[in-house]
Amino acid sequence: MRRYLRLFMLFIGVEAQYELQYRANLVANVLQQAMVIVTSVAAVLILFSYTDSLNGWSIAQMLVLLGVYYVVQGMIDLIFRPSVERLMEQVRLGTLDYALLKPINSQFIVTLRHMRLIQLANVALGLVIAVAGVVRLGEGLGALDVLAFIVALATGFVLVYCLLLVIATLSFWFVRVENLLVIYGAFVDAARFPVDIYPGWLRVTLSSVIPIGLAVTIPAQAIAGRLAPESLALMLAAAVAAWLFSGWFWRRGLRSYTGASA
Amino acid sequence: MTRAIIEVDGLTKTFRVAERSEGVGASMRALVRRRYKDVPAVAGISFRIEAGEIVGFLGPNGAGKTTTLKALSGLLHPSGGTARVLGHVPWKRENAYLRQMTLLMGNRSQLVWDIPAADSFRVLQEIYGIPEAAYQRTLGELTELLDLAPLLHKPVRGLSLGERMKVEFAAGLLHLPRVAFLDEPTIGLDVSMQGRIRQFVAELNQRHGVTILLTSHYMADVVALCKRVLVIHRGKLLYDGGLSALAARLAPYKLIGVTLRDGETDGELSRYGEIDKRGEGRVTLRVPRDQAAVTTARVVHDLGDRLADLSLGDPPIEDVIDKVFTTESVA
Repeated sequence: MRRYLRLFMLFIGVEAQYELQYRANLVANVLQQAMVIVTSVAAVLILFSYTDSLNGWSIAQMLVLLGVYYVVQGMIDLIFRPSVERLMEQVRLGTLDYALLKPINSQFIVTLRHMRLIQLANVALGLVIAVAGVVRLGEGLGALDVLAFIVALATGFVLVYCLLLVIATLSFWFVRVENLLVIYGAFVDAARFPVDIYPGWLRVTLSSVIPIGLAVTIPAQAIAGRLAPESLALMLAAAVAAWLFSGWFWRRGLRSYTGASA
Repeated sequence: MTRAIIEVDGLTKTFRVAERSEGVGASMRALVRRRYKDVPAVAGISFRIEAGEIVGFLGPNGAGKTTTLKALSGLLHPSGGTARVLGHVPWKRENAYLRQMTLLMGNRSQLVWDIPAADSFRVLQEIYGIPEAAYQRTLGELTELLDLAPLLHKPVRGLSLGERMKVEFAAGLLHLPRVAFLDEPTIGLDVSMQGRIRQFVAELNQRHGVTILLTSHYMADVVALCKRVLVIHRGKLLYDGGLSALAARLAPYKLIGVTLRDGETDGELSRYGEIDKRGEGRVTLRVPRDQAAVTTARVVHDLGDRLADLSLGDPPIEDVIDKVFTTESVA
């Protein structure tokens, strides 16, 4: 375990060095993301100039949700997505072989090796918005709320991680699965609003097959004081199931890869 | 009998490949219903390799060389047969095994292109759990042997093909494996870089006793490095033995090259042996191996002063190997 943690820190260090090489790119990226976030905050503010509540969500709670959205999206694009994209490329080029011959857990090295640290800016800006929302709520946060928030956030990550792992694993059979990532991306955009405002089919999709909606809404509910404990329990159970399934699916995919590829 | 480092017994690997006919119509049909065909890539081969050997693996494209290497390194689950490398079943991919072996593919890169090799090396050090002292020692040695110093801190993207291959070699050997599978390690490199890599492989084998199984399209690699070769064709092992013995067995003749000052008249040289080729005043004769010395003496005796040049040698190994692949057997 400690070895894996050390390795992970090393991955971060190596990637940081790489990204810091390109300062102009770094600045441009941060500015661009800041613009995107400012625009979406403005959109929420405009929306709430016409109404006081969106399906029971107040403006302060919406800001919390938006903040959490950028934290979640930023974290996923920070750690999981770059590795998953790289994995698909490696399957296509045949260089995955090298990763599989390392004396280390293949799932670990394949899903966490690469990251895009620039996304930290997204995470930080998201936190700022979420905190602004909490301040505006003006109710103060109990320790239990914070704990529920952290648990919900972590569980949400696990769910999305599992989804991305399953998508990546599909590339063992279909080789070209980038389009699935595009579909995933489209649903991610929808998660900047609470899942409960959407019509049934979309709500169900965002909470099950593509659980990004859950990953954002549940932590936001926790912090905004709207969380029903059973939702959290259900989400935890789903995360455990998803973790077991995706791990099994990955090993299955590997077996097929090593059984068939030339 | 002591245990060999690599023991392969009746290894087979059959791939199921989707059959496709040409044309759009056929492709559409293939979408709905695929037809599969079983293609035997390796059809039951057996061999043993002892510690410290360098063995060349020869065969035309598609002969099953890479498939065998992949099975031995643990990437492929064979359809049948057994194999043990360092006492491990490779395809179980136990960490204890992976730590002691390496697979290097000349046409596939394991380094991350955007970052300098030195950073990738650090990651490898951690993955293999190489203690700092050992890491420094090995890296120092590899740097010296491969002349890596100017290459380590540039992003891999900016290196030439040859430079990249050297760095790839270092990456694959940082953990000082006991067994190395090299798949076309010199592919695409220029002659002098091929020579460098060759020299390095020999050095590695001598200094650290690394057992090496290598494939190459360049016979020069094999001639320079391997005393022993395995010849594989259509998934079957055709020959296992010394390189020179292979030549003797396959080509039971030698070549005598004769150049006459006044040129050849009336095909007079054909009485000494079969004419292999004529060109630029030089005639090459093909004579049975056991008579080569005597025939040469006769040529010298008969033609004496008329000789401008005379040579005696083996046929080029490429021709010998080529003959194996066209006749599909070793006589």
